[in-house]
Amino acid sequence: MDEATPLLSVRGLTVDFPTDDGVVHAVDDLSFDVFPNETLGVVGESGSGKSVTSLAILGLLPKSARVSGEIRFRGESILGAKESELRALRGDRIAMIFQDALAALNPVLKVGDQVAEAIKVHHDLSKPQLEDRVVELFDLVGISQPRQRVKQYPHEFSGGMRQRAMIAMSIANEPDVLIADEPTTALDVTIQAQVLEVLERIQDRTRSAIMLITHDLGVVAGVADRIIVMYAGRRAEIGTVDEIFYESKHPYTKGLLASLPRVDRRVVNERLHRIEGQPPSLIFVPPGCPFHPRCPYAELNGRCDSERPPTITVGPGHFSVCHFAETLDERPTHQ
Amino acid sequence: MLIYILRRIVYSVPVLVVASFLVFWGVRTTYDPTAKYRASKDGARIVAQKRKELGLDRPVFTQWWTWFNRFLHGNLGVSDRTNDHVWKMLTRAMWPSLQLMFWGSVFALALAIGVGVYSAVKQYSIGDYAFTGISYVGIAMPTFLFGLLAIALLVTLPVTQFHLSEPIFFSVGLHSQGQSGLNLDYLRHLALPVLTLTVQSVAVWSRFQRASMLDVLNADYVRTARAKGVPQRTVIFRHAFRNALIPLVTVVALDSAFLIGGLVITEQIFSISGMGRLFLEALQFGDVPVLLAWFLVVAVFVIVFNLIADMLYGVLDPRIRVR
Amino acid sequence: MTISPPAQPPTPPTSAPTIADAELALVPGAEPVARSNWQLFRRRFLRHKLAVVAILILLVLIVACFGAGWLAPYPKNQTNLLITPGGPSAKHWFGTNPLGQDMLTQVMYGGQISLKIGLAVAFISTMVGVFVGALAGYYGGWIDQGLSRFTDLFLIVPELAILGVAIQRLGRTDNAFIIVLAGLGWMYIARVVRGQVLSVKEKEFIEAARAAGASSRRIIVRHILPNCIGPIMVNATLAIAAAVIAESTLTYLGLGLQPPDTSWGILLNQAESAVTSTSTFYLVLFPGLMLILTVLAVNFLGDGLRDAFDPRSEH
Repeated sequence: MDEATPLLSVRGLTVDFPTDDGVVHAVDDLSFDVFPNETLGVVGESGSGKSVTSLAILGLLPKSARVSGEIRFRGESILGAKESELRALRGDRIAMIFQDALAALNPVLKVGDQVAEAIKVHHDLSKPQLEDRVVELFDLVGISQPRQRVKQYPHEFSGGMRQRAMIAMSIANEPDVLIADEPTTALDVTIQAQVLEVLERIQDRTRSAIMLITHDLGVVAGVADRIIVMYAGRRAEIGTVDEIFYESKHPYTKGLLASLPRVDRRVVNERLHRIEGQPPSLIFVPPGCPFHPRCPYAELNGRCDSERPPTITVGPGHFSVCHFAETLDERPTHQ
Repeated sequence: MLIYILRRIVYSVPVLVVASFLVFWGVRTTYDPTAKYRASKDGARIVAQKRKELGLDRPVFTQWWTWFNRFLHGNLGVSDRTNDHVWKMLTRAMWPSLQLMFWGSVFALALAIGVGVYSAVKQYSIGDYAFTGISYVGIAMPTFLFGLLAIALLVTLPVTQFHLSEPIFFSVGLHSQGQSGLNLDYLRHLALPVLTLTVQSVAVWSRFQRASMLDVLNADYVRTARAKGVPQRTVIFRHAFRNALIPLVTVVALDSAFLIGGLVITEQIFSISGMGRLFLEALQFGDVPVLLAWFLVVAVFVIVFNLIADMLYGVLDPRIRVR
Repeated sequence: MTISPPAQPPTPPTSAPTIADAELALVPGAEPVARSNWQLFRRRFLRHKLAVVAILILLVLIVACFGAGWLAPYPKNQTNLLITPGGPSAKHWFGTNPLGQDMLTQVMYGGQISLKIGLAVAFISTMVGVFVGALAGYYGGWIDQGLSRFTDLFLIVPELAILGVAIQRLGRTDNAFIIVLAGLGWMYIARVVRGQVLSVKEKEFIEAARAAGASSRRIIVRHILPNCIGPIMVNATLAIAAAVIAESTLTYLGLGLQPPDTSWGILLNQAESAVTSTSTFYLVLFPGLMLILTVLAVNFLGDGLRDAFDPRSEH
């Protein structure tokens, strides 16, 4: 497939949840593309709509969700597609790695059986073939003694091993798109690195596109090709890793970057910056730009709190959703 | 697992011993087997003599110890009422009760699990609402009242309404005269007692199963299964069902004593000579040896039932097995 | 109490959040959570309406029964052997029994005792249960050990059997029922309160109160118990239902109250043979209906309270 044709393309995705207290606007008019063999980092705070987006792609949102927009996989519309069509995609062409592997693995089934099931529902393989394949997968993700391990239950695995098993399950059918939802958040730092390394190795082999969802810019820095920064269910900025890290044109991205501890900072005694205020309620999203109450660049009583900012192209493939994207670096801040 | 069971058995022994003392104390001080002599001529002397004969003049603890010792040697004594051996009476009464308990448990579990799973999978459907309404009435329905209503509406009413020569369901005993074995006659006798015995359990357990199934259907691992492309039916039965059974096992085990209470009521209403009726007769007559043995046998039964539940737990949940 | 069914709420196991929960629970202001959709809202509203109706029914029952002295159409236990016993009529709404007693009057007076037992048992067992449960949960140690060992004893024997023996010992009176049922019922509430106290005890605000030098008594009474009020209230209502059922069951079996006392259990006991004929079925129907109505109303009240105290619960 042509590397310039998107594998997965999301247009104007909007997800609302009606609740007793009002409608939660979990995702609002979100658009992005995922290209073959790339790693797309999806970055945002908790509640920025990252996980809801991934569930929407898989068609796994609860029934109460109101979804609109368009999601295309290889040009075919999959949002609102028939359950049987979605099921054929899930786990086969689009697979997902969940955050908390302990909760995401069935406690009463053997790990090997759970991985085998992912293959079985899509391919007709004999029992020994299945087992060999599972062992091979375990080997691939770096689980030692795979022959014994397949017969164990999730509680007999360590945290890192469980996450590796999750990965083995998700890559079992060599999917085109692999959605990894905070795959390393629950893990120790050393194991985080190992798991990320496994993901990279897998990608070299299967040439899958990876959507790496995380709240941690540090995680995507070394792995991703492009990054989409989300805020309050909307996109804030899209660009390559270098563009996001070194030429960010969005105040929220800048805030995130400033709050990241970095070894290349020159001033040793500089205190870590933090973004003032709280992420907004998704029921009462601030009017205009949702970030304006916390934004040091915001123009008070101006466009920021009344007009929704447009998507501004600041470079080829580099977009920022900010009224002042082009002049941000010259603007004074309140702080 | 074996060690776990052994530990449970060892732990339940002191509970049983203490319970047997409390029951002994309670029952012994409630009934005075010499009361019948009191009114007779020279009553005071005869009572004193009888008390000495029966060992009632000694401290309660000593009396209990004597009784308990005999019990351990398999000597349960003789009934004050019928002069039969207590052990014989118990074994005779046990068989009908075990039948009721067995069919009751099977029926109640099957129905409660079926209804619970259905209501959870079809949450907020008409069926779910209907089962919810029925279970509310079932929970509020005292066992004996259900028995009475069942007789009135399912035995008497059809007979008078359609002028039948004999009722569709019978309300006395487990077999007709001269009948035995597993046959239609047995079923027609069994239906109402089993229904009466289990109506509350079915109501409570099905609500519980529904809640735990809903919980499991929202679990992360069920979402994982869906994300793998597993069909809905497999998701429900392979991934959710077994996990949802685990909490039910605990509840059912805890309810075993309650079921025996229901047995007392059910057997009385449907004239079945089982353990429940034996208890009522002994209680009315003040038949101390039978009461004492009855309590102990029932306690052992409940403990065994809980042990079985524990083992089932281990089968269902691999996390328990390692312990 | 086991005589009512384990009428305890079918509490689900530790609740796993829904898909949307996981995401939305993290959103400040977005709680309570996406599970609460329109249908749930409607359901909850319906529940509360039922709870309101339940309170009204209970009030009517309480007024009718305790006001029987003024409201009942005939004097208590008045027999009139001249009238032929018959079903409901304009003169006798609930019909008359074979003794010629007006069933409406009997049901009202009978409710007096049944409801008195239910309310008194709920009150006493809640008081005792809260006291013991709070001590056991807060102090732990031997009090806690003692409580669990003691209550373990009662789990292995049907409560109906214990109740039967105890009532023979203490006398077949309403006060004996209150004492015995409260004596059995407090254990359940104590367990619930103990569990609640254990979970509240470790919260930060208790730590803060302790650090501020509050006495243990003050912490329990002012800080911990108010946070357990929901489960306590719910279980108190369930205790009413359990006690009413227990009394009527034992009395029905002929081991509880006796005439000239009257209770719903006695009326049902007297009417036992009525089920073998369709023409006398009303003798079972009316006291039975009152019994079910009471228990249903109390259960709905408990449900409403649970929802009111814990809006996130789904039951």
